[in-house]
Amino acid sequence: MSGVASTLAKQRALAAGFGTNANAVRYLNQDFGSLRDKCRSAGRLFCDPTFAAAPEALGFKELGPSSPKTRGVTWKRPTELVSNPEFIVGGATRTDICQGALGDCWLLAAIASLTLNEYVMARVVPTDQGFGNDYAGIFHFQFWQYGEWVDVVIDDRLPVKDGELMFVHSAEGREFWSALLEKAYAKMNGCYEALSGGSTTEGFEDFTGGIAENYDLQRPPSNLFQIIKKSLEAGALLGCSIDITSAADSEAVTRQKLVKGHAYSLTGAVEVNYRGRQEKLVRMRNPWGQVEWTGAWSDGSSEWDSVQGDCPNANAEDGEFWMSYSDFLRNYSRIEVCTLTPDTIEDDSVKHWSVSKFDGTWRRGSTAGGCRNNPYTFWTNPQFVIKLEEEDDDPEDGEVGCSFVVGLIQKNRRKLRKQGEDMHTIGFAIYEVPQQFHGQREVHLDKNFFLSHAQTAKSETFINLREVTSRFKMPPGEYLIVPSTFEAHLNGDFCIRVFSEKQSETQPCDDPVEAELEDETVSDEEVDAGFRGLFSKLAGDDMEISAVELKTIMNKIVCKRTDIKTDGFSMETCRVMVNLMDDSGNGKLGLGEFATLWKKVQRYLSIYKKNDSDNSGTMSTPEMRVAFKDAGFSLNNTIYQQLVARYSDPDMTIDFDNFVGCLMRLEMMFKIFKKLDATNSGSIELDFNQWINFAMI
Amino acid sequence: QFLPSDPPPPRRPLNFAESHESDEEKQFRRVFKQLAGDDMEVSPNELMNILNKIISKNSQLKTDGFSIESCRSMVAVMDSDSTGKLGFHEFKYLWNNIKRWQGVYVKHDADRSGVISRRELPEVFKAAGFPLDEQLLQLIARRYSDEDSNMDFDNFIGCLVRLDAMCRAFKTLDKDNSGSIDLDVKEWLQLTMYS
Repeated sequence: MSGVASTLAKQRALAAGFGTNANAVRYLNQDFGSLRDKCRSAGRLFCDPTFAAAPEALGFKELGPSSPKTRGVTWKRPTELVSNPEFIVGGATRTDICQGALGDCWLLAAIASLTLNEYVMARVVPTDQGFGNDYAGIFHFQFWQYGEWVDVVIDDRLPVKDGELMFVHSAEGREFWSALLEKAYAKMNGCYEALSGGSTTEGFEDFTGGIAENYDLQRPPSNLFQIIKKSLEAGALLGCSIDITSAADSEAVTRQKLVKGHAYSLTGAVEVNYRGRQEKLVRMRNPWGQVEWTGAWSDGSSEWDSVQGDCPNANAEDGEFWMSYSDFLRNYSRIEVCTLTPDTIEDDSVKHWSVSKFDGTWRRGSTAGGCRNNPYTFWTNPQFVIKLEEEDDDPEDGEVGCSFVVGLIQKNRRKLRKQGEDMHTIGFAIYEVPQQFHGQREVHLDKNFFLSHAQTAKSETFINLREVTSRFKMPPGEYLIVPSTFEAHLNGDFCIRVFSEKQSETQPCDDPVEAELEDETVSDEEVDAGFRGLFSKLAGDDMEISAVELKTIMNKIVCKRTDIKTDGFSMETCRVMVNLMDDSGNGKLGLGEFATLWKKVQRYLSIYKKNDSDNSGTMSTPEMRVAFKDAGFSLNNTIYQQLVARYSDPDMTIDFDNFVGCLMRLEMMFKIFKKLDATNSGSIELDFNQWINFAMI
Repeated sequence: QFLPSDPPPPRRPLNFAESHESDEEKQFRRVFKQLAGDDMEVSPNELMNILNKIISKNSQLKTDGFSIESCRSMVAVMDSDSTGKLGFHEFKYLWNNIKRWQGVYVKHDADRSGVISRRELPEVFKAAGFPLDEQLLQLIARRYSDEDSNMDFDNFIGCLVRLDAMCRAFKTLDKDNSGSIDLDVKEWLQLTMYS
């Protein structure tokens, strides 16, 4: 709302560590500590005005106000439900989470996996709260949202129907962390119903900030059991599910009591000595807390009697069960593995992956180049370079190389839009960086590079999901990653992350922001007689050219030319031009000032003509980037995006008057900066008066 | 000493926002939907059409109409994601300001000329929340007044939108209220070019 300044302020805050787990962004500006203090000193329980205990917090359709499912719902605090509620009893455990009347098993499976890792759990569920002395009806939780941690505050009024919690509840009924966590997640997503139907991947990432990968179990990689085992050891979160073929199939139970279209967590993987051979087993958990597999290796089955040595048997009807790895592959359709970032893993014995994260934007006409099918704009997409130096340790598949995972997430560009409306089809391409560009980061590779080089790898597919993730193994070297939407010219925001097994270095690749400024000033004396004569004719009696006169002159000249298109110089543009050129400060241009302006316009005209490659009389916005370079201005993606947004026409062309207005201003702003930065420190300090004086030009 | 208008409250989830709107806001949202079209965003062209439609009905305001250039500039100073368009909240904010400043304009046009003369300038800006010193007044008069030193309505609004946005930009960046801001060349260009 405060325009560019608010974006800059946010970037500065992020650079200073804001948005990390330890310093989370406050959702809706609510501060847990001060709100709790306020409630406690006032002696009342917190009622959240931003997520009222009202029908709209439940949902809009199936859980909408007129749905039978929500009839008779009341909102009760845990203290009204049981006599001695607890936040967490004996640490968070997998059995604290039993699904209610909401199709958010994917979320519960993610929460269940979360409880397996105490440290990860403590980041999402802060331990500074409970039903003890400081209880004030207020709780908070932290989630990862598109690259930053968000702290979400809620009150503890929970929806109750027929005397029972409607949604998540603990098996034994007086433990409330899981129900409150679900409420906080619902608040962040708008309402409870918004949580219905999702993928565990999303839950995993929102709880950990890790990167989630999907494997199709019909075509598993040969080393998948090793990947699972290694991932569990590395503290990763794993979820599995069985695909459904029709809607009626959802939550259908197979003969061996596996639930289709339902999210399970995978919580363990072992090899046991069974009748003299090694048998691979996996431990699964149904978030319902019941309904377990009845086949081989299920609770109490005969296979367990023939195991020699260590035996991880479990018999309780708690939703958790073992099955053989081969049965697992046969019965389940997919597995999701969420690798954690180094900061998530406390244990030093765990092998850390290195991670880098960058935010970026695609903008129509400037940096939304589309996929490789668009050869003339593809190069304008944001570019990132990854440098792989060291090969993996002991590769299991015998192939040497550097393993890395690239995840491209599209952010909700406008949170106010209905969900799903602006999911773009996204993906990325990877190129080997040629030797001559190694080590260079201040370069945005141009059209010719992409026309003459083939891609080395790419995301598995372009798809309209929140995130596209792919795993690669490549020889050491430098690689260029180009994320894009499938079609060109779509606005979107993204966050790209690169996880690598060994240390690697990922950086955005962009042109530097700098200008080669020539001194074009023409003094009064230098003006030749012909121009002097022209000037006196144009300027009238006062021998000065005002903005109005300038407008007349400029438009007379351009309207005679058929080779350039323009809708004429506006009064605003002419006023700005006069202000920029007016060294004397009288609001009009003298002979020398006008001659200087004239020289500039001539130069810009030749650049404009040169870059109008199809002789259309206008310049398309990708041509504009090249033209700016010719004019001596090197600009990065962000500024280029702004110039396109500000000066181009809706059809992504820029006409001559806008081109001149833009370059004049650009040149002047570079000059002012250089003048203020007398010591070449790269930074200027402005007080309010200075700022307003420049900003109002 | 300047009083830029208050920044709007943080954005709320859609269902909350819609269910807690006053009747006036609901009305405004309906109008916005008609103006902004399917993408629910206002482009400079749309803004120009809206503004010109409205001022053409008001005889107290003298103006040669909002130009596309000044509408682009108004969108730019309010746009924080470089899409070149305004969303519902930004537009509402702009709208409320324009209504308020229109009142100030009419009230301070003492001679009922329909324009603000150079003499009326200090008072009218003061009333709008911006007590400007002589140097700034001069700069603004040069940039936004015509050759007879009169400021018409479209220039008045264009000027105030920019002034208001730039004051807020300074406040936003001066986090510790030190009275000064530091900018590198990238930030400087982003702030001054996208305006």
